Amino acid sequence: MTRFIIGVVMALSCYSYSQNCKFTFLGELNDFHDGSPISSATIYIKEKDKYIVSDLDGKFKIENLCSGTLTLTISHVGCETKTVSYSIAGDTFKRISIEHHVEELNEVSVSASSTKKETTTAQETVIKANTLKKYSALNLGDALKEVAGVSSINTGNTIVKPMINGMHSSRILIMNNGVRQQDQEWGIEHAPNIDINSANQISVIKGSGALAYGGDAVGGVVVINSGRVILKDTLYGRTIIGGQTNGKGYNISSTLNKNYRSGWFAQIQGSYKRNGDFKAPDYNLTNTGLDSKGLSVQFGKKKFESGFEIFYSYLNNEIGILGASHIGSVFDIERAINAGQPLLIEDFSYDINAPKQKITHHLAKANYFKRFQGFGKVSLQYDYQNNQRLEFDVRIGDRRDIPAIDLTLQTHSILADVNLDSNLDRKINFGIMGRYQNNFADPDTGVRRLIPDYDKYDFGIYTTTEWRLNDNLLVDAGLRYDFNRIDAKKFYRISRWEERGYDEDFSDIIIEELATQLLTNPVFNFHNISASVGTRLNLDEKNQLLFNYSLASRPPNPSELFSDGLHHSAARFELGDLRFDKELANRVSLSYSHNTSRLRFLSEVFYNRITDFIYLRPFDFILTGRGPFPIWEYQQTDAELFGIDLTVTYDITDALQWQNKTSLTKGYDLEADLPLIDIPPFSTMNQLRYLNTKWYNFSASLKSEWVFEQNEFPDFNFEVEDQLTGDMILLDISTPPPAYHLLHFYSEATFALSEKTSLNVGLGINNLFDTSYRNYLNRLRFFADDIGRNITLQIQLNY
Amino acid sequence: MNEKNSNSKTMNINFLNLNSMKTNKFIIKAVLCFALISSFTSCSDDDPDAVNEEEIITNLTLTFTNTADANDIVVMSSVAPDGLEDGVTAETVVGDFSTGATYALRLALSNASETPAEDVLNGDIIPEADEHFFAYAVNGINLTLTRDAGDVDGPDGSKLGVETTWVAGAASTGNVQIRLIHEPSSVDDSNEFGTTTGGSEDFNITFEDVEIDD
Repeated sequence: MTRFIIGVVMALSCYSYSQNCKFTFLGELNDFHDGSPISSATIYIKEKDKYIVSDLDGKFKIENLCSGTLTLTISHVGCETKTVSYSIAGDTFKRISIEHHVEELNEVSVSASSTKKETTTAQETVIKANTLKKYSALNLGDALKEVAGVSSINTGNTIVKPMINGMHSSRILIMNNGVRQQDQEWGIEHAPNIDINSANQISVIKGSGALAYGGDAVGGVVVINSGRVILKDTLYGRTIIGGQTNGKGYNISSTLNKNYRSGWFAQIQGSYKRNGDFKAPDYNLTNTGLDSKGLSVQFGKKKFESGFEIFYSYLNNEIGILGASHIGSVFDIERAINAGQPLLIEDFSYDINAPKQKITHHLAKANYFKRFQGFGKVSLQYDYQNNQRLEFDVRIGDRRDIPAIDLTLQTHSILADVNLDSNLDRKINFGIMGRYQNNFADPDTGVRRLIPDYDKYDFGIYTTTEWRLNDNLLVDAGLRYDFNRIDAKKFYRISRWEERGYDEDFSDIIIEELATQLLTNPVFNFHNISASVGTRLNLDEKNQLLFNYSLASRPPNPSELFSDGLHHSAARFELGDLRFDKELANRVSLSYSHNTSRLRFLSEVFYNRITDFIYLRPFDFILTGRGPFPIWEYQQTDAELFGIDLTVTYDITDALQWQNKTSLTKGYDLEADLPLIDIPPFSTMNQLRYLNTKWYNFSASLKSEWVFEQNEFPDFNFEVEDQLTGDMILLDISTPPPAYHLLHFYSEATFALSEKTSLNVGLGINNLFDTSYRNYLNRLRFFADDIGRNITLQIQLNY
Repeated sequence: MNEKNSNSKTMNINFLNLNSMKTNKFIIKAVLCFALISSFTSCSDDDPDAVNEEEIITNLTLTFTNTADANDIVVMSSVAPDGLEDGVTAETVVGDFSTGATYALRLALSNASETPAEDVLNGDIIPEADEHFFAYAVNGINLTLTRDAGDVDGPDGSKLGVETTWVAGAASTGNVQIRLIHEPSSVDDSNEFGTTTGGSEDFNITFEDVEIDD
């Protein structure tokens, strides 16, 4: 508005400077998308150092121009500023298209901190860079717990898998900078291979509402975005250096960005993390070290009308797994549980020995987009991922350095997406996706393959639409179809083949018969329909309702189909089933938010009904040379999950803020009438934060994390006979650990070093009172306590 | 397969010739082309090789020989064609012990899934004796054992338990157990049968209804 007034004043004053020149320039400003006139835009005439303003029809007139160059800089509220030049040799008329709704499209953003949501009616929470930086030394899964209703399922402290409303692994889809992460995510011990330092903003979407990314996100979608492109000539970066007392860890991460006004941009980012053995309050957690290296490079050109980007990222993680968790039999587990502390405790070391994981993930992508006037935006993308997973077991002799698991997963995807946004009240988006994936399990491990070699083909087509019915009511809907084909080559022991009854049902897929094994060629096709419909209703300025229904369809993953063998760390046999069909989830969610200047309240409820839900359940025993083992079978059942997540923030004073995040999730197997396993217990987090923006942006917060005991769990305890004595031994593998309460402290301040340089110092103390506890969702809880007090110091330099 | 490869290569050359095109268009097409090439080259119709399971033990044999009478032999064996680690086992006991007699135990561990069968005891376990330990136990049967002076050295100054001498007491029937523990945190062979903490059991086999006759 101010600009407008200045513009009018300037425009009027223009006439007092008339010269001998006589040409007239007539301009017409219109919207790039729909051609509608842009009124009240400010036009700066460089040669005259004058401002004028366009009229209601988007027109403007410059009189008394001399021949030569005319340079105009056009700006408008919510528009990308555009500069154009013309050579004037007579009276001239020009139609100039400018981009009118940058903010709504969020394509070219001037502020790196602006929040862009991926969905409109789904339960979505955005975690911004300022929060993410606290997790520089940690994992993606740790950072996502900032969102109420998101927990994690851990194997120790460094393998952290995000869990959304009780769902994890294949039921969560992770988009890493526009690419669907493919890294053997079916495995409960396979954490996402993403360097948290490469993320600038993360969206967590509960449920499968984000259909453009996939139709199988029964649990939810995590969207990780790197930094935005700023359209000006600038060079900036940040470096984070941190140290942690627990595990004697240190981390460094650096990002450097170069942007040009012309739209060219480049970014390079690298990080390194290292820690040795963590410590529980009472003992060292031997062999829990980590060595992580990450690198990403990105460059391209991004203008409003078109752009392209080339992106590459590399991550290499070597992760030690608690030595005491290496067990050979159920008797070993029984001894571990009864001992109450790890049976292997050694002095602190940075060494990472077996059992350990060594994972390398490469991701490369290229994309291109072009906007067509009055139509919309067309994007094309190709991406490639190479994931190598090596798992080293405790082995002997020459085989010590040979991994027990050696999987290479390669994925190629092509994607075309069209976004029709010429009418902002009726947006339409559609696209098509093709993917080819090859998994190779190296036989040189000398250990039978955990999952077989396979080729997988995916084809998807989707459309989503968003209708703004009026200022307060918005409706969106989407539909997607996916075809999946998996073509595997798997060896079955003949004994297993017959025990499973496959000799009757699948005799036609045998391609080779060996002495004790059969080579088979299972090929399965799955057709999946997914859909979503939702509405957003603003009741008034303070109150908003979101409703969403989504249907997700997930084909069984390779482990659910093909698992066939001993899962060492769990001391159980796990058997998949070739007969599985896809899993279907119907999820309804309702969110209510209330926002006033002091109080922000968000309540999210959901109900998720899943037919043919696939999960592992104990089924039988097998007596082996290491004694009896329970056999767990993947089974399909009908399940329901429901829950409520609350997030309340209240500004007690301008400086003091209280926040509460509370989450309750319930899950049941409806056929067996049992609670589901691994459902997060009720938890409530309270935080008191003091903020003084005047004194170096200082803040200090005290966070209380209270996790209850999970009192609803399936009793999968079992008894085994000690063959020597004939005694029955009970293995309590089901009873969840007791409730625990932890306090965490965090404080930070930012010091301006120069106009463009600032230094942020953060000091944190996790588990302030060094409390011993075990977490129900940590798979190593049978063997050891979780980690104790950890003092962290982190310095971030922005330049 | 080859045909597909050459096709996609031709496509690639076509694109390269179109260097007068706008950079943007070239990039898209190059990318799509790269996608095609990569997909074709990564297709493979070769069948996977069967895994040669190196680490397994298929046969465990305990041969007890009367030190005074070479014809008085008790043989306990456990056979698991898929490996003792996770395969189904079958135990057999041939012969009975004689009251008052002393027996030398000879152990044999082999992987018969390889040809010729691999000697796991001498090939893998004895060379890494400091990481292994054989623990024995009996229940209901009057057998005692001593680890021989010439036994291989095990972890923490213990004796590994591959050379042992057994004495049969009064007539009785019961169970005999042998376990192999890998990387135990601590071992104790002061009671000769042997106890451990930590580590993982490579096998845990119990032979039932073993008899000592008068």
